[in-house]
Amino acid sequence: MHICGLLEVILQGSGSASPAPPCTKVEVAVLLLGSGPPAPTASSTSPDVLACLLVAPPCSGHYADRHSKPSCHSSPFHVEHRNIVENDPSERVSAEASVLSSRVHYYSRLTAASDRLLSPPDHVIPCPEELYVYSPLGMAFKVTGGDGGAKNPSIVTIFAIWNTMMGTSILSIPWGIKQAGFTLGIILLISMGLLTLYCCLRVLKSPKSIPYIDTSDWEFPDVCKYYFGKFGQWSSLVFSMVSLIGAMVVYWVLMSNFLFNTGKFIYNYAHNVSMSDTEFGTNGSERVICPFPDTGDHKGNCSSGISDTAVFDRWWSKTNTIPFYLIILLLPLLNFRSASFFARFTFLGTISVVYLIILVTLKAIRLGFHLEFHWLESTQFYVPEFRLLFPQLTGVLTLAFFIHNCIITLMKSNKHQENNVRDLSVAYLLVGLTYLYVGVLIFAAFPSPPLSKDCIEPNFLDNFPSSDVLVFVARTCLLFQMTTVYPLLGYLVRVQMMSQVFGKHYPSFFHVFTLNIFIVGTGVCMAKYYPNIGSIIRYSGATCGLALVFVFPSLVHMISQKRRGELSWPSAIFHSLLIVLGVANVAGQFFM
Amino acid sequence: GMSSTAMKKKVLLMGKSGSGKTSMRSIIFANYIARDTRRLGATIDVEHSHVRFLGNLVLNLWDCGGQDTFMENYFTSQRDNIFRNVEVLIYVFDVESRELEKDMHYYQSCLEAILQNSPDAKVFCLVHKMDLVQEDQRDLIFKEREEDLRRLSRPLACTCFRTSIWDETLYKAWSSIVYQLIPNVQQLETNLRNFAQIIEADEVLLFERATFLVISHYQCKEQRDAHRFEKISNIIKQFKLSCSKLAASFQSMEVRNSNFAAFIDVFTSNTYVMVIMSDPSIPSAATLINIRNARKHFEKLERLDGPKHSLTMRMR
Repeated sequence: MHICGLLEVILQGSGSASPAPPCTKVEVAVLLLGSGPPAPTASSTSPDVLACLLVAPPCSGHYADRHSKPSCHSSPFHVEHRNIVENDPSERVSAEASVLSSRVHYYSRLTAASDRLLSPPDHVIPCPEELYVYSPLGMAFKVTGGDGGAKNPSIVTIFAIWNTMMGTSILSIPWGIKQAGFTLGIILLISMGLLTLYCCLRVLKSPKSIPYIDTSDWEFPDVCKYYFGKFGQWSSLVFSMVSLIGAMVVYWVLMSNFLFNTGKFIYNYAHNVSMSDTEFGTNGSERVICPFPDTGDHKGNCSSGISDTAVFDRWWSKTNTIPFYLIILLLPLLNFRSASFFARFTFLGTISVVYLIILVTLKAIRLGFHLEFHWLESTQFYVPEFRLLFPQLTGVLTLAFFIHNCIITLMKSNKHQENNVRDLSVAYLLVGLTYLYVGVLIFAAFPSPPLSKDCIEPNFLDNFPSSDVLVFVARTCLLFQMTTVYPLLGYLVRVQMMSQVFGKHYPSFFHVFTLNIFIVGTGVCMAKYYPNIGSIIRYSGATCGLALVFVFPSLVHMISQKRRGELSWPSAIFHSLLIVLGVANVAGQFFM
Repeated sequence: GMSSTAMKKKVLLMGKSGSGKTSMRSIIFANYIARDTRRLGATIDVEHSHVRFLGNLVLNLWDCGGQDTFMENYFTSQRDNIFRNVEVLIYVFDVESRELEKDMHYYQSCLEAILQNSPDAKVFCLVHKMDLVQEDQRDLIFKEREEDLRRLSRPLACTCFRTSIWDETLYKAWSSIVYQLIPNVQQLETNLRNFAQIIEADEVLLFERATFLVISHYQCKEQRDAHRFEKISNIIKQFKLSCSKLAASFQSMEVRNSNFAAFIDVFTSNTYVMVIMSDPSIPSAATLINIRNARKHFEKLERLDGPKHSLTMRMR
């Protein structure tokens, strides 16, 4: 490509178009080089356009042509070292490079921007090492690094998925197993893991079976929009919101809980108050308590009768005051325009989970195992192995294994895309093993002769007194971690909702503030009146799982198979069964 | 006057569904491809195609041998209609196709129909998507296919090309096809040379009007860029696309800088001419007058030819 001087282009149309003014035109080849990895929260990203020119030696004659010289290099885009610019400003362009550029330019005018039909395939474009950025001032620089997107090895992707999936539901797994019964609980955990893994694979593969359209930056809601139109787009948004807001409410309840216990520990330590007579629990060094011994009533908080702590107890109450104190801390954080600051703290989540695993192991070692198998009848200290309350566990597990709304984005940065299925399965296996380990150990180690298994709380840390040092550390870690994740979740909710409703991520401070007030308000109300995280998790899990785990992936798969003419009876029956299971999951939450 | 359908000669572009005909037509004729029309799968192109070239040849595009049984039935029942009045058959083969036997079978049935209905038609075979084959194997594979096709096509003579939209082979193949369809092309070339020498031009190109494929050219000295024809064609076709958005049609263009002047203008009813002058002292007006006078001469040249050539059968 030569830089032409000033060109006068005089147009003589058929008379209906007015003559255009003289223009300066510098020819630059523009190649579309794919889009960078979009943020999981952004609904649409525009592809990065890199202006670059293919620089190659003049001796190319690869295509038999009587005007060209015979070939002296095997690859037409090999650049001789002296042509790579450091100080020497001269550049050389081969005929192949410039004509390819001319073709790409022309073909891009013939189809819509997102249509892949006339996009240059990979084997036609030279590899990134041979691409140069061309400055119109006459210098060409080699493109350094950056091959179109961060590519991670499998182990990093697996870890990222494990890290994202490990949420606060880990605290409710022992309770869930207790609700379903020990044996049935284990069976359900494994089955739900497999089911949600299958649905996740369906979600992951759904953009690929869409013909003719470039789906490289689509997320699952975009796929739903393609198949179900506006309804699909809005419903997938609504259900995604259910999971996010549900998580935020759970976070508020838990943060109130942990802050309360932390404050109490510090107060008791400073004032040397012992709580052991006021709480019902085991004796001995490893104390396990049963906060609500005879009732299933989780409302309220028994206050101690001792007068010097009465004032403290009134101003430092788990349900009455602390949820409000948190507003002062967290509401400002929610209003930040960007959440990238909080994204740096994701390592805290990993540390917390690892610490929880260590904690659980230590407690199990010290408490020992207390298991008795009563198959269908309940006894004073034990629960049956098979219980009718099992839908509560499936609800919790649906949220525990939920990653379907961002799995496509997470797997996009996997270096070897052909291993996606294997990597996702390994990640689910690790997550399942973690949950199983924590759930089984806490359940088995729960000291049953003095306490009933029924005492296991939806947040198993509640079963340890606030004076327990190990658990105090766990609570503090989790509190700190949640304080950093809460604004991230708020950011995700805000971005998705605002983009859909108003078209921009941050329409105005007023809009965002109203949304935040609503979210915080919900959290505060739940923390005050119904702080049972087990219920919150199972209801929100089953509801959002209905759409995003069971119904939409199955429907999308069946429809795409039908369009290709590949829908068989076994497949149709199996996927319809999945949809029925999803509905039954939700129904079970309300009736059991 | 005479019924226009009876007089129109066709160029058939046929091949299996997915072999690349729509892309090819879009690129050669600068047609925008709307995504929705392709979602249906098979391209169903009707007789009333708006693409005309080389005078009054109409381009018809047919999918041949897809899985669509509807297409097959329609094809067999309309067979005579489709294959009557055919001037050129261009058959596209996908080099990556896994069903070589079936492809050859459909090709042969097209040839039979041609023999019955338009025995004078010229047959061209394009072995397409060659960029998907490794470079060192391309010649070998193409030679194999060419031998098979020549053998199968007897008694008709077919000319084979290997093509890909990602190199110059597509442009060259279609240029050759168009070159063979111009009845008096040698005479045109001689006259073009004379014209160029008289006006002292560096290079003179003659383009086909609809596709901007170079029919013939003359150059007085060696040019550096072997791909300049395709590039000019692409640039002008892009410009035509822009013009059509404004509901304007492209007629002529002059490009000038301190080193050269280039003139693109309508020439005869089927052609455009491009004249490149490297002597900037010659004023544009002079060159334009020369082109105008040459135009009359070349038009007479076209009209002098026999009535059976389609180029002379213009609708009045």
